[in-house]
Amino acid sequence: MAGRALTFADADVIKLATEHCIPVASDDWYNRRKRDAEGDFFRAVSNQGPRGNKGVGGSTRQGMYIFTASGKLLGYRNNWDPNNMRWEIRKALKQFAALPANETKPGAVKVPELKASDLDKGYHRPVPKNGLVVRVHTRLIEEDGNGGFTTCSKLPSGVLGLMSSRDHLWIQENEWKALIPTNPTIGQQVHMPAKLAERINRFHLVDNTRGEPPFWTRKQIQASKMQIKVTQVTPTKIVMKLSGHSILSTHADLNQAQRAFDVVFEGEFEVDRQSNRIVRFDALGLGDHIGSGRYTSKARPGRSPIGLVFELIEPKTPKDSVPPQAAREIGAYFGRY
Amino acid sequence: MRIARILLAVSLVFILCANAFTAPSLEKVDRDQLRKTILPKQSESKWLQIPWETSIWKARQRAAAEGKPILLWEMDGHPMGCT
Repeated sequence: MAGRALTFADADVIKLATEHCIPVASDDWYNRRKRDAEGDFFRAVSNQGPRGNKGVGGSTRQGMYIFTASGKLLGYRNNWDPNNMRWEIRKALKQFAALPANETKPGAVKVPELKASDLDKGYHRPVPKNGLVVRVHTRLIEEDGNGGFTTCSKLPSGVLGLMSSRDHLWIQENEWKALIPTNPTIGQQVHMPAKLAERINRFHLVDNTRGEPPFWTRKQIQASKMQIKVTQVTPTKIVMKLSGHSILSTHADLNQAQRAFDVVFEGEFEVDRQSNRIVRFDALGLGDHIGSGRYTSKARPGRSPIGLVFELIEPKTPKDSVPPQAAREIGAYFGRY
Repeated sequence: MRIARILLAVSLVFILCANAFTAPSLEKVDRDQLRKTILPKQSESKWLQIPWETSIWKARQRAAAEGKPILLWEMDGHPMGCT
């Protein structure tokens, strides 16, 4: 959040990153672990910095790095003040300009192609084949005094956590196909695949507004009701309404829970009958949350409202294919164990 | 009969939980307004003006081809997701 709110919201940093560098954003959890050419390259760059050589795995290597295509580190910061970042990027660009042409001339450094078979499958997360990507935004909100809600204005943690968070929900082909009725009729109930319902409950109804969120265990799903009903059938489309209510809690008695989320949600699926694909999914969630996690400390005291928006997207740029945070444990994410 | 029992059990859980924690409701809420409130504001999305790659190897290939250095934003939890 600090990078989004401070560093990369700065006009000069945006210009420097866009015009003078090749910008890349990545999850250190994967990079420090993957045993393939990409992981080896990253670690060889990181080893030159203040975090040193931690081998494969080890503790975090997070920060902002500037380096050459050959792997020479030119700059490193783990401070998100845009003034520091501007200075660091400019310093690195000067160093880059002073390097010999065999480091800097376009085409001078040869970087081979990596095939899918070259990648460490344990730490590579492509979007599931023919799967759907749903963007999930979550925000701390507060009552506006007129029956509605407005953005949360004050947090014990300061400004961090006031922004809308983002994650992706992945739906596998067999799951979305199971949602499409063969002979739809208005009022028909459609069964939500159990593993998809569990994925939404455990991994996407969370407070991730201040950092990496704790997820819910199966036992912590205290109650869950998800109904899908056909509301419109035409020769070209089927529209289905989703409504649900989930109670997720570390304790069956919510008043004794360290962490809990009582959330209702409503949404719509739209199926294009010609392609037999889901072409729209929008949902809105509203709930009361209590408690913090290890990396999401300083929640508001007591029960406080959180809103969620789910929207189906068509991946167009690399950022749209970023894996769900919970997909690190891919087997658990897809309900395989 | 089995389905009725399951429905009764689910209802009881909700009733018990509801006693402890007043259930939220979307019934009287202006959904469009709530949706706008939740979604990122333009002022929160400036970082998306940068054309981020997400593969370090792809960035390396582009850097080599274009003669530029790589700027890597490396976080525990993907900077473009997670939180």
